[in-house]
Formats: sequence, C-alpha cells, structure tokens
Amino acid sequence: MSTDLLNTLVTSAIWRAEQLEERVGSASLAWAEVSSLEEELAKALPASQPEGRIARRGAVRAALKAGDFARAQALVERYAAEKEAIPALRKALHQLLEEDARTLAERFHHAAKAVDDARGLARWLQEGGAFGLAA
Amino acid sequence: METLAFYSYKGGVGRSLLLANAARFLASLGKGVVALDFDFEAPGLHYKLGHAAHRESRLEGGAVPYLVATAREATSPPPLEEHMIQVPVPPGSGGWLRLMPAGPAPDRAYWAALKQLGEQVRFDDPSGQGLMPLLDLHARIREELKPDYLLIDARTGVTELGGLATTVLADTVVCMFVANQESLDGTLMVAEALKAAPRLKAQRPIRIVPVLARTTSDLPVEGPFAEGVKRLLELAAPADKKETRLFELPHDEVHGASPLDKAYLELFEELAAKPGTVK
Repeated sequence: MSTDLLNTLVTSAIWRAEQLEERVGSASLAWAEVSSLEEELAKALPASQPEGRIARRGAVRAALKAGDFARAQALVERYAAEKEAIPALRKALHQLLEEDARTLAERFHHAAKAVDDARGLARWLQEGGAFGLAA
Repeated sequence: METLAFYSYKGGVGRSLLLANAARFLASLGKGVVALDFDFEAPGLHYKLGHAAHRESRLEGGAVPYLVATAREATSPPPLEEHMIQVPVPPGSGGWLRLMPAGPAPDRAYWAALKQLGEQVRFDDPSGQGLMPLLDLHARIREELKPDYLLIDARTGVTELGGLATTVLADTVVCMFVANQESLDGTLMVAEALKAAPRLKAQRPIRIVPVLARTTSDLPVEGPFAEGVKRLLELAAPADKKETRLFELPHDEVHGASPLDKAYLELFEELAAKPGTVK
C-alpha cells in the first residue's frame, strides 16, 4: 500500500474516531484502527523523517485512546529502540505514556502515587492470574 | 490504618463470622473500625453486622455500586458515607464501626450492579485502569475515615479479587482452615503465594495469622496433616522467627462455649497488636 493511500486512510479513520467520540462517547475500535494504520505508515517511513516520527507518535497516541495500554507500551519500546530514532522522538514517545499515567493519577487522586504499582500488579495478574498461581 | 484480610481456601469455616466478631471487639476497645465485604459472589457481612440497620435504612450502596460509580466517573466519586452503614457499638467504648457491604444483596439490583462491574472493570488491564478504583477506595478509607483497622472479607477460593484483597491491600492475612487435608493443602498453597506476591512500594512484608477453625481434641500429631500444619507455621513466621503459633478455635459442641471465647480473645489480642509494638 502506498504512503499516499495510507495517509488518506489515516485521515479518514481519525475523522471517524473523533465523530464517534463526540456523538457516542466511546470510540475504542475506531482509535484501534487509527493506531494500526499509523503503524503501517511508520513501517513505510523511517524515524529519521519528520513524517515517520509523526506516524510513530500517532500510532502510540491512538493506541492509548483505544484504551490499549499494552500495545502503546510495546510500540514505544519498539520505536525507541530503532537506530534512526532521535532523542526528541524517544522523549516524546515516553511523554505520551507519562501523560496517560498523569491522567489516571488525577482520576484516582487518593491513590495517585500508586499508578506505577497498579500497572506492575496488573501485569503480574495478567501473567499469573489470581495469587500469581498460574505463572 | 492496619488492613486485615480474612481469607479461607474453602467456605464454611466461619470466616465472615470471625471478621464480624473481631470488628465488634476492636470497636468495643475504643478503636475506629471499617469492615469491607469483598465476598461479591456470596455477600453476607451485612447479615452478621447490622442486618436490621441495613433493612431499615434501605441502603442501596456498597462496594460494588461504589466501584461501578468510581470506574465510570472517578473525578467526582460518590461520598463514602452513601455506601456505608454505621454499626452500633457498646455505649462509652469510644470506638466506632462502619460497614461497607458488598451491596444491597440479595436484591436483584445488586446482581445487576455486579454484572456491570464485571463488564467495566478488568483488574488485569495493563493500563492500571482496573486496579486503580480498588487502590483508590483503600486509600480513600484511610484518608477520609482514618480508622485504626480495616477488616476485609476476602472471597473464598482462588479468585482475582480474593487475591488482590490479600496480596495487595492487606497488611495481615488471617488464613482460616479446618482440620482436613483438603482445606490445609489449599491454605498452604495460598500462603506460599502470599509470601511470593509483589507488594506496593510503601508496604511492609505481609503477615500471615493461621487460624484452625472447628478444631477438636483428636488432631493428628504426625502424618501429612501435622507436617502440613508445621509447614504453614514456618511460612507464616515473621523474619526473625522459625515459626509462628497456630490459633485454634474449638468446636462448640466438643468444648462448650467457654474455650471458644478464650480462643477468640487470644486471637483478637494478636490481631489488635500491630507488628513492632509491645503488647
């Protein structure tokens, strides 16, 4: 698929996601589609190019909007490890995750300091199930 | 705030009743106590603590409706008081006892709320979105109500919520079992898991208090059961000791009421003593 076509698809997918968000309130699937298309663009465009960096940030941001934190985290790790990734891109990608943590801390302000703990525990639960017994 | 979770691998050991009695006892000593029913699939603490008050006040709240509301709009979570029952304590004791029931069970509205909670909250969501409402409730009880003790009725068996109440929220886990191999083996497995489970940054290592319920005078002193009990006491021992003591709650019909009362008081004394303090 050409990058021109991918760009067109991304633009219309973002429009659909925003419309859904405005009218229905939730648009997880639409944002997941945006994230997948941005990821395809990122494959076609190197991180050394501004468009490549935009696509990488877009893929992560859309994954977070889709509520798929695990995917967002995996994308950040992958993109930050690329040879062509400049420090500013790495910083911007990590900032997206930090911003998401801040939003969570604001929502649950009594346990604001426990966001990192909660994420670690969720991973532990996902891997090992109740009491970690299935690990 | 000291958080005590009451856990049993198998049901029917008297876990909720022990929690209710411990809550009343601590309140009668002048302590501030919150009892929290996390046995969502078979809630009953509101029957053991102020059932009448619950019916008269027609409470609609509780932990399940609270968590549903919090997960949906956490920026303005509902007041805790709307989800709690004030349980009377002996006049002049200076203590207080509040119960957060699971919800208005067995009304149908409760089961609808529980279904909603299952659909909205996934505790293993890697973003932390599922666990934060739970950690937030725990922190909010500590900050707003400032109780001396939070007593949690953790669900029996191996469940996500039971696991979280014991491994993540609790400072102390009261592990109840009865005198058969099935009950003991399950308890041992969970005790091992508790020792290996991750803790929050600010938490100290977990304390396990083993309690043998409905004990009789003819307990085996050797063989697999006796060896299992020894292993459990070793697992539950604090870092500076080889093993801890086993609290036995005798069967009424065998020993009569008086030994049970004495055993209860000994256990409550242990639970009321925060680690590091001199009794």
